[in-house]
Amino acid sequence: MESFKQNDGNRDELIIQQQRDIEKEISDSTPLVGELLPLTCLWTEYNGDDVFTAKIQDLAKKYKFIRRTRPDGNCFFRAFAYSYMEYLISNNSAYKEFQKLAEDSKDKLVELGFPSFTLEDFHETFMEVIRRVSPDNPGGYNKVQNELHKILNEQGYSDYVVVYLRLITSGKLQEEAEFYQNFIEGDFTIEEFRHQEVEPMFKESDHIHIIALCAALGAGVRVEYLDRGEGCIVKAHDFPEGTEPTIYLIYRPGHYDILYPN
Amino acid sequence: MAGSALRRLMAEYKQLTLDPPEGIVAGPVSEDNFFEWEALIAGPEGTCFEGGVFPARLVFPPDYPLSPPKMKFTCDMFHPNIFADGRVCISILHAPGDDPLGYELSAERWSPVQSVEKILLSVVSMLAEPNDESGANVDAAIMWRERREEFNSIARRLVRKTLGLAT
Repeated sequence: MESFKQNDGNRDELIIQQQRDIEKEISDSTPLVGELLPLTCLWTEYNGDDVFTAKIQDLAKKYKFIRRTRPDGNCFFRAFAYSYMEYLISNNSAYKEFQKLAEDSKDKLVELGFPSFTLEDFHETFMEVIRRVSPDNPGGYNKVQNELHKILNEQGYSDYVVVYLRLITSGKLQEEAEFYQNFIEGDFTIEEFRHQEVEPMFKESDHIHIIALCAALGAGVRVEYLDRGEGCIVKAHDFPEGTEPTIYLIYRPGHYDILYPN
Repeated sequence: MAGSALRRLMAEYKQLTLDPPEGIVAGPVSEDNFFEWEALIAGPEGTCFEGGVFPARLVFPPDYPLSPPKMKFTCDMFHPNIFADGRVCISILHAPGDDPLGYELSAERWSPVQSVEKILLSVVSMLAEPNDESGANVDAAIMWRERREEFNSIARRLVRKTLGLAT
């Protein structure tokens, strides 16, 4: 009988509701993707703390600006989408290649077992966003960049882009399950990990998400780790190792924002 | 955001109408509000719920399908995974992390590629095979485990009740 848990479901739902309210408060006060800010704005957050002051100084040698994302558990995917598309706007041949890859990705995901019916909406929205940020659109880089900023701050579009990137990530994990199984801690199978930690919204990302997404899209990400660790140098890591990065992110425990190199 | 939820719900409704799974009928309560559905679920064959037609309501959040709907039976129910007030408690109705009853790791969870159809099919399997590890209705869970005959006869009475027959 021990396994029975006397449970008042209503109380649990109240707790979940409260959690939702807190999340909503955070989200209402932070844009999905913020404006460009000077990197040194980070100083004010750490209030003269020696370790962080030195590390931010180090970081400022390499990066000029930061762009914050909403801390809602989707920050890695949203930061990735924004930063990568910003790169694609200024690189026509990479854009074309990516557009093709994105177009073909739906059939690939269906082959991997995703339900075509529910996938369709996300894929269509994803393709629409890609079309709207084409470097060929009239008005040049600035106009298209404005459009990108606008779209990724529109909850509906922005969240659908996040969903689709999550599905691409999950698809890659499935496709190379044997390889990725090595990165998974605990008793999770790849299948469980995909359904629990990758596909649902608001679940935070780990290295394995980054590696799989980069591999699926052929993109390179450099992550700068700003934490309380020893030394006054900020450690960086490239995904996949040895690749020239096109996306630069700063990681502070639990959260990713976008960086802009000098 | 509600725009994409509405589009998706309309597509799901269409799909369920054109190609309904056996024993399930579902759709919006009224054409003006796609965010509230009624479903009729036939008790699975070969189980104590066979022959019954069980009505339920589904309420969808504005950010559906990012978040799952809530589901509640509107008839009398006695089942380990259904609360006394009719709320259905199965893993697919929850995103991971929202864990009222500590579901197993492997249990199927909500994600944006799930659908109303997947939920209703899960509910049919739940009727056929209760999960007595996560007791939303502890009395029902204990009875199902220890006094199956008594459980079956309550279920059969509920079946007759949904059909409007004398119990």
